Amino acid sequence: MKRNVLTLIIGAVLVVIFALLLFVFQVRQSEVAVVTTFGRPVANLTEPGAYFKWPWPVQNVYKFDQRVQNFEDKFSPTLTADQNNLLTSVYVGWKINDASAFFRKIPGASVPAAQSMLESMLRSAKSAVIGKHPLSEFVNANPQELKFGEIENEIELSVQNELHTNNYGIEIEFLGIKKLGLPENVVKNVFDRMTSERQVLISKLQNDGVAQAAIIKSGADRQASEMINNAVASATRIRAEGEAEAAQTLPVFEQNPQLANFLLRVDAIKAALNQRATLILDERTPPFDLFRNLPANPPGQ
Amino acid sequence: MKHDHDHPHDHDHDHDHGHGESGHPPAPPEPVATVDAGSQALEEALRSSFVIVKVAMAVMVVVFLGSGFFTVGPQEKAVILRFGKPVGEGQKALLTTGLHWSFPYPIDEVVHIPITEVQKITSTVGWYFTTPEQDLSGEELPPGQSLDPARDGYVLTADRNIIHTRATLYYHIDDPLRYVFDFTNAAVTVQNALNNALISSAARFNVDDILLRDQAGFKDAVLLRVTELTEAEKLGVSIDNCEVQSVPPRQLAGVFSAVTTARETRTKALQDAQSQTNQVLSAAVAQAVGITNLAATDRDNYVKSLKAEAKRFTDLLPQYQKYPALFAQQKVAEAMTEALTNVEDKMFLPEREDGKPREIRLMVNREPPAPKTGAATP
Repeated sequence: MKRNVLTLIIGAVLVVIFALLLFVFQVRQSEVAVVTTFGRPVANLTEPGAYFKWPWPVQNVYKFDQRVQNFEDKFSPTLTADQNNLLTSVYVGWKINDASAFFRKIPGASVPAAQSMLESMLRSAKSAVIGKHPLSEFVNANPQELKFGEIENEIELSVQNELHTNNYGIEIEFLGIKKLGLPENVVKNVFDRMTSERQVLISKLQNDGVAQAAIIKSGADRQASEMINNAVASATRIRAEGEAEAAQTLPVFEQNPQLANFLLRVDAIKAALNQRATLILDERTPPFDLFRNLPANPPGQ
Repeated sequence: MKHDHDHPHDHDHDHDHGHGESGHPPAPPEPVATVDAGSQALEEALRSSFVIVKVAMAVMVVVFLGSGFFTVGPQEKAVILRFGKPVGEGQKALLTTGLHWSFPYPIDEVVHIPITEVQKITSTVGWYFTTPEQDLSGEELPPGQSLDPARDGYVLTADRNIIHTRATLYYHIDDPLRYVFDFTNAAVTVQNALNNALISSAARFNVDDILLRDQAGFKDAVLLRVTELTEAEKLGVSIDNCEVQSVPPRQLAGVFSAVTTARETRTKALQDAQSQTNQVLSAAVAQAVGITNLAATDRDNYVKSLKAEAKRFTDLLPQYQKYPALFAQQKVAEAMTEALTNVEDKMFLPEREDGKPREIRLMVNREPPAPKTGAATP
């Protein structure tokens, strides 16, 4: 009988497992589930774990991925407020936040159906929002005039509102512009404009280079001449200092102006007759006066 | 399991809903004594096969439990989902490198998450169309007249220029639970954030800033924006680095490089002017110093010579006062001697006998400008 007990236990375990398979289902982390009784939603399960249900055909379980899903719409043209044809594509992170609503509202409760619905919402939201803004609010170096973030927020809000009003069981986690562009023929015009802008820039750079170089050079010349003028001025001042200092010695000469005068003249003679001079003298000039007073030989001796 | 269905007790539970062929209801044990040799052999065979089945079951149980072992590699973490719910709260749910055990499916499910390795994402907007083969070989098709919005990517700059730019983002996963359980494809979400960062940053930078003047600023703007976005979107990643490459449209490569050339020419002209300035200024400094030094020397010499003069005067004064006439004659004679030694041409012109003045005529040539040494020229 011991062996019978063992087999009974094994059998019981197997029954339990089988029953669990029939009556219990799991909701995985990242999933939400809707339980229907004869096709009517009765429970909305958002927490992961194991749950009880009646087996088919009484109750059915529909599980949905509640993670954030990526979706982006087609790169499509929209007119801006200033009549520019702007190509835009936006990306959306969306998720199912109410599985039973999603189950009821979305055809086939399928993700592609939800996304095609999102796409049409995005299209109308985009054309409404972009139509209110000029191109200068999409691209602008001035942060006050740039409305890039605001435009994204407006589109998001518009889609969010529509989702909320219709209660699709979907919410948008984030929305952003993924791509901006211009139609092909406009791109060509932009290229032409860019080319002429570059050419303007080239000639501006060339002229500016010449002008700046001239300014630098003339500045240098001015500075140099100023330095020399200053040096000349200070040289004059230095010399004046010397004269002032020398003047202090003048009283010495005052003791005998005659001698001073005489010495000056002697020095002047020395300086004047220094070199490269021609001197014509007669016998009255000393020391040649010696010749005049030479005693003559007595005639006849 | 099918072999033992004839056995009186075992098959009852095993085959509750199994095969309809086990028609025997549970019956009292059959008298063993009455079995003949044939059925005895059958019973032997059944018994031994039952042993095999038991061993097989034991092995299966062991294998079943053993299949719960798994390893977590160095570049990953793992989470055990028990009935779909992570075991452990928050970061504690993460299993680190090593050997682990979980209940086999369907009780537990092991999710491996790459974590330590740096993830790399490249932007998908903003660059012209190339095929993967062209990327590998480095050869590109010549550009067309315009850009096809369906194929070629580009960004619009703040001054409405069109340029190509692409970014490569390096990030790692901080919160693996969010990364895996809150996003169907978090990598694509990061990529879209990067794309958005690229075009929204380009929208507020001028073309020359992106391409030349402020490349670092543009890169920082992209990095900042993508960091903000991934934080706002709660992706559970942290951004390590971002590389941005920007080029003008290939259609305008010539005119853009001409601007670069012009810019370089301008820089060179300015540098030349600057170096000339330096030369001029240092020459002027030298000249100015020369002028003031000369003046200082002059001053010193003047003062010194006058002092010397004064001293001489003081020295001579007593002599002069003693013998004024003799002193004067002596000094004049001295001066004449010195003068006559130095003077080149000396002419002595005695008085005429009759005492009348003599007439002489001098032809004076203007002297050629002579070097300082003073060449002896008549």
